[in-house]
Amino acid sequence: MASVARETASVGRLMGWRTPNGFAVGALLVAAVALPLVWRNDYVIDVALTALIWMVLNQSWNLQLGIGGIWNFGQLAIFAIGGYVAGLVSLHWGINPWLALVMGGVAAAAVSAVIAIPVLRLRGIYASLLTFSFAEVIRLLVISDESGLTGGSFGLSGIPGLAFEGLSPDAKQRAYYWIALGLVVVTAVFIYVFIHSPLGTALKALRDAPAYAASRGVSPLKMQVITFGTSAFIAGVAGGFYAQYFGTISPSVMGLGPLSLFVAMLVVGGLGTFWGPMLGTALIMIVSEALRDLEEGRLIVVGLILLITIVLAPRGLVPLLQDGWARLQRWMAEDEVPEDAPQEGSR
Amino acid sequence: MRSFFQAVVSGLVTGSLYALMTVGMTLIYGTLRTLNMALGAMVLVGGDVSWMLFSGLGWGPLAGLVAAAAVTFVFGVVIQQIAVRPLIGKVGVDFEMTAFISTFAVAIVLANVALQIYGARNKGVPPVIQGRLHLIEGVSVSWHQVVMAGVAIAMLLALGVFLSKTRYGLGISAVAQQLDAARLMGIPVQRVYNLTMGVSSALAGIAGVLLASVFFVSPNAGDLPLLKALIVAIFGGLGSVRGTIVAAYIIGLLEAMISLYFGVKWSLPVLFFVIIVVLLIRPTGLYGKPEEARL
Repeated sequence: MASVARETASVGRLMGWRTPNGFAVGALLVAAVALPLVWRNDYVIDVALTALIWMVLNQSWNLQLGIGGIWNFGQLAIFAIGGYVAGLVSLHWGINPWLALVMGGVAAAAVSAVIAIPVLRLRGIYASLLTFSFAEVIRLLVISDESGLTGGSFGLSGIPGLAFEGLSPDAKQRAYYWIALGLVVVTAVFIYVFIHSPLGTALKALRDAPAYAASRGVSPLKMQVITFGTSAFIAGVAGGFYAQYFGTISPSVMGLGPLSLFVAMLVVGGLGTFWGPMLGTALIMIVSEALRDLEEGRLIVVGLILLITIVLAPRGLVPLLQDGWARLQRWMAEDEVPEDAPQEGSR
Repeated sequence: MRSFFQAVVSGLVTGSLYALMTVGMTLIYGTLRTLNMALGAMVLVGGDVSWMLFSGLGWGPLAGLVAAAAVTFVFGVVIQQIAVRPLIGKVGVDFEMTAFISTFAVAIVLANVALQIYGARNKGVPPVIQGRLHLIEGVSVSWHQVVMAGVAIAMLLALGVFLSKTRYGLGISAVAQQLDAARLMGIPVQRVYNLTMGVSSALAGIAGVLLASVFFVSPNAGDLPLLKALIVAIFGGLGSVRGTIVAAYIIGLLEAMISLYFGVKWSLPVLFFVIIVVLLIRPTGLYGKPEEARL
């Protein structure tokens, strides 16, 4: 791990990648860990926890949509499959919840790898049509299911949670919160390493110049199956965790409403950026909680935010902020030029 | 055998409606290279307009058809100006992706505005004509369905004449075939874009009025038509008008057959499976052309 990180850092310098500010990341992490201890409010922790689950989902989605440029709009179905499988195996077979979480991820990855093959043959927009209708078909199948396996439109309930039976409700919630935070961090580290590894470079090459990348020996089939598989595994685990924390999963996690929320999170934060999905999720969650009284009307605001962002700043907020920050630093550096002008040449 | 004929008849009726909805989608993709996700919302707006005319003024669905077409035409032009036009020619972003997302955002806003105004209830609109037409012994079709199919086919024929005979229609075809050459010939491309969005949205709005009396008008009335239109569009090949119409009838008939022999529940999954197989063999759909040759 350390050697990979070192290698990544050196490649990063070579390629001119931004390295994350260690101090800022550490401070953010400490703040996130301390949140449930400082702000002892069930509701706030619950919202923050939900936001963390969405962050995991959105990061996995960003790997395909943003970094891979694969137009997958079926990730919510993958998320739900993870949740349903994790719920079903622990309900019916009494499997250990941690193992169930992994099984949810594996099932999601398997389904997704199968979908990856027809999608590979499709160009841009056709891929989005296929994946979008795949998600809708899954949703409608679950809703119209009368066999009792998935519980139809009411969903599964009574899913056993992770084994925290001895703890008080508050402590239990905090434990869930920290596990969710752990999932976010593990996912983020994994995605950071992935996108800065040769695999990630190959993926971006396929996105930007498919013919050239393929001619240089990058296999589109292999990359697509890997991307779909890993991304779906992460989404499936997030789905399983969702099912276990809330004890229930229903088709209402899929559909156009949730889809619009998640697309807004991704686009507002910045598709294809490392920090985008996390920032976007946090922002949209805050907006949506601030407008809680509007109930369904929130989606009007979210839709408008999405529309305004995509029209004015199609690349999202993170690139915008990074550009602004770089400009600010250049501007400050310009101011300093007269003082250390002689050193300008030697640098 | 009777149920088979019944299924064929209802398949042809739904096929005509699918054609009406999807032809707009394919026209927009052909000229603007935008997959317009707001077309589902246009179905909803059309239904709401005809419901308002019916419940407020007592006007029948025929007045609704005209009014809905006019209103959705305006909506289409406004969406083009707000959500699509600013994205054209932006550097560093994928136009198809951003336009897909921006029209999707419009669809969300419209559906939820409708939810706020009318609430989640189902609103009924009476059929154009009551009664049923008996074709042969045991096979019948409601007059409303006949009208639905008739209006849809008339609209498609009118669209065909419009595209191939009139000045503006030829402008749309020209822009779809060769944007730069069309511009050189002095075709006002922005106006063609507005016209395409308007006409396509009006077609979806008309489909919305026709559907309103079969199903109900509710805030998610546009979701299923959108999904069906997407399936037809992939199946037929985006940008090919003929392919879209052929695909719409195939999908309509297929759906009726599946509902007859396996039950309604299976119609979507089986359709989806068929689509996957078709795409594996022909990645651009039945009539879709691999690259730039379109319409």
